[in-house]
Amino acid sequence: MTEVLSNFIRALRATDVRVSTSESIDAAAALDAIGFRDRGLLKESLSQVLAKSVDEKERFSECFDRYFFAEDMSGVEQLQSEAESSQDDQPPGESQSPGGEASGEGQGQGSAEDSDELGELSNADRTELQIAVANAARQAGVSNIRLFTQRGMYMRRILEIIGVETLEEQIRDAPDAQSEQLSQRRAQLIEEVRAQVDRQLLLYTANSWPQLREQILQKTPLSSVEVRDFKFMQALVHKLAKRLVALHSRKKKIARRGQLDIRQTIRRNIEYDGLLFETVWKRKKIDRPKVIAVCDVSGSVATAARFLLLFLYSVTEVIPKVRAFAFSNQLAEITELFQNASAEEAISFALEKHGWGSTDYGRAFEDLESMVLDDVDHRTTVLVLGDGRSNYGDPGLTHLRKIHDRARRVIWLNPEPKAFWNSGDSEMRRLSTACDRVDVCRSIHDLERLVSEIMRTAV
Amino acid sequence: MNTKTIAMGDTPRAAIDAVQAGLAGTGYICGDSIATAVYLAQCLEKPVLIEGPPGVGKTELAKAAAQYLNKPLIRMQCYEGLDEAKALYEWKYGKQLLYTQVLKEKLGDLMQGAVGLQASMDRLHEFDDTFFNEEFLEPRPLLKALWEEDGAVLLIDEIDKSDQEFEAFLLEMLQDYQISIPEIGTVKAKHVPVVFLTSNNTREIGDALKRRCIHLHIPFPDTHLEQKIIESRVPELDASMRLQLVSFVQELRTIELKKLPAVSETIDWARTLLLLHAQELDTELVRSTLNILLKFQDDIENIDAEVVAMTRKAIGAR
Repeated sequence: MTEVLSNFIRALRATDVRVSTSESIDAAAALDAIGFRDRGLLKESLSQVLAKSVDEKERFSECFDRYFFAEDMSGVEQLQSEAESSQDDQPPGESQSPGGEASGEGQGQGSAEDSDELGELSNADRTELQIAVANAARQAGVSNIRLFTQRGMYMRRILEIIGVETLEEQIRDAPDAQSEQLSQRRAQLIEEVRAQVDRQLLLYTANSWPQLREQILQKTPLSSVEVRDFKFMQALVHKLAKRLVALHSRKKKIARRGQLDIRQTIRRNIEYDGLLFETVWKRKKIDRPKVIAVCDVSGSVATAARFLLLFLYSVTEVIPKVRAFAFSNQLAEITELFQNASAEEAISFALEKHGWGSTDYGRAFEDLESMVLDDVDHRTTVLVLGDGRSNYGDPGLTHLRKIHDRARRVIWLNPEPKAFWNSGDSEMRRLSTACDRVDVCRSIHDLERLVSEIMRTAV
Repeated sequence: MNTKTIAMGDTPRAAIDAVQAGLAGTGYICGDSIATAVYLAQCLEKPVLIEGPPGVGKTELAKAAAQYLNKPLIRMQCYEGLDEAKALYEWKYGKQLLYTQVLKEKLGDLMQGAVGLQASMDRLHEFDDTFFNEEFLEPRPLLKALWEEDGAVLLIDEIDKSDQEFEAFLLEMLQDYQISIPEIGTVKAKHVPVVFLTSNNTREIGDALKRRCIHLHIPFPDTHLEQKIIESRVPELDASMRLQLVSFVQELRTIELKKLPAVSETIDWARTLLLLHAQELDTELVRSTLNILLKFQDDIENIDAEVVAMTRKAIGAR
């Protein structure tokens, strides 16, 4: 029984329902209290213990139906015992849920009967076959199946365990009439095994493809992300941003309590002749960071810029003040675009309008200095995103240094791998002298780390 | 499993049916899922987190359960800024001050014979706990629930309105049914209370809290259940009228509205129609009483055009 439950929980996790260990213990306790007999109650109670939001409940329901059909041994027994119990102790029409099951069960039996006529196998034979296949499947460890390419391997293994070879030998040796019957039987067996493996595959890998894709995309260099993946990436960025916000937004509220600010208390109580009457407590100041993002949007860096901006504007709850600038041959502020349109639209628009020129860092930083220098103070983080390739022109170091002197920090993000820095027209070495930090920013993964760091030091 | 109040029937099905019947006895009609949650809460000794749209009877469930289990209901309404002092306990400062004033004169007697500062201090130390004992403790809902001799039903209402810090503070209480008070020590529940938490989902409840709870989602009831609810709450209304009214509300819920009418609104409407001695729904009647179902003027205006068709459909329902 525990194996059935733990496999079910594995299947649940595969469909992206988060189940913790303590919840599995609860599930076992609930199972103890409810038992396997009443499918409706079982489903309801497990759903209450394991799925903790509305859409998790939906996924749970789907997975439950699939699993307790696929889990042949308990499934068949359960269906049978259920048939008895629903006939015995439930007056017709008393509740709706048994009706739903009854129809599911009807289907199961119906298909069994169909094959009965086709394959000249008695019903008992078929159930036996199913149970044998299920047992063999368990022995073959089919619940470890992860990829559809493993299907053939697992089918072969199950067939070997069941002993298909002896059957094949029998077919070879037997006279024609019997051999035909036997090969039909073999075909049926293979069909059954295939169905079993397919069900298991569906069960345990329902969600693994999107998960895998997510993992891969997180590490893909931004410059090589394909346009068709943009939508998915955007969703991914939102997801990561949401996580960061959840992680950091709590800190915003913390004001240190329980520590007396003696200096302030004495000062405040002077009016009461020095009697300490009113207390003042020490509070932690909440420092809201200002971020100025300057992005090179010319060809090579454009994708990275897109996702950096998307990221920054997805965490407005923690970093409320972001000014964004885009440049290729000249600099323009694009903050307003974000206020009037959704982040995605604004980014596309900005790229269209300002992108695709040849980069001129000198001019860009000169413009930047004249536009933002007054706004830069000790709380400002300046992010520059660019490859540092100035086309052999002036990289505008003096202007950047001026900003650096005022800002809390300047971080340069380069989407190129480190080995390419300082080669050709790359001016990274010189530019890095005017930055607090120079960092590679190649993938969503890097972006997340970076934004998280800005947020952490922000509080 | 020790279930003291729910008779552990021979089958869980029977026990759950008993819960359902018991709740129905208090006027709370519910389906299998709610009864299962109440039963599981008792079996597993776990709190129940109830979510769902407003007005489907989340708070009512706790009240009905208290009545059914015959335990006192202790209710705590959450709001932003709720802290331990209001939720758990507070010292009765006034009483403490008053007692110190009254006992001031006794102090001289106590100190008699004590020579020197150290001796007086030692003497005082023998009495220091006098002012920090349960006598001077003002219990707030959470502590009250733990102190209750025969167990209680604790309702933590609208947990989503409280701060995240408070949610974290609840964890100890919900996990082990105990609370630490620095001056006294750990207070353990005399009898594990049945805890209901309700949430309207104005913010996402933390995973840690969810993990410790049984999660029950109450959706809008279907036609059949809602009719039964109306039957129990407004028994004077006759059956055909009930059917018409419920069908109308169900129809209304399929339309895109700012706020969908919940069960509580249906009950109010049923009462109104009863007061007006209405025998059958008609367009005029619906128009004039629609403000009971819909709480936004925009909504009322939006469906105005469809009232006729919907009324006709509701009357035709069977």
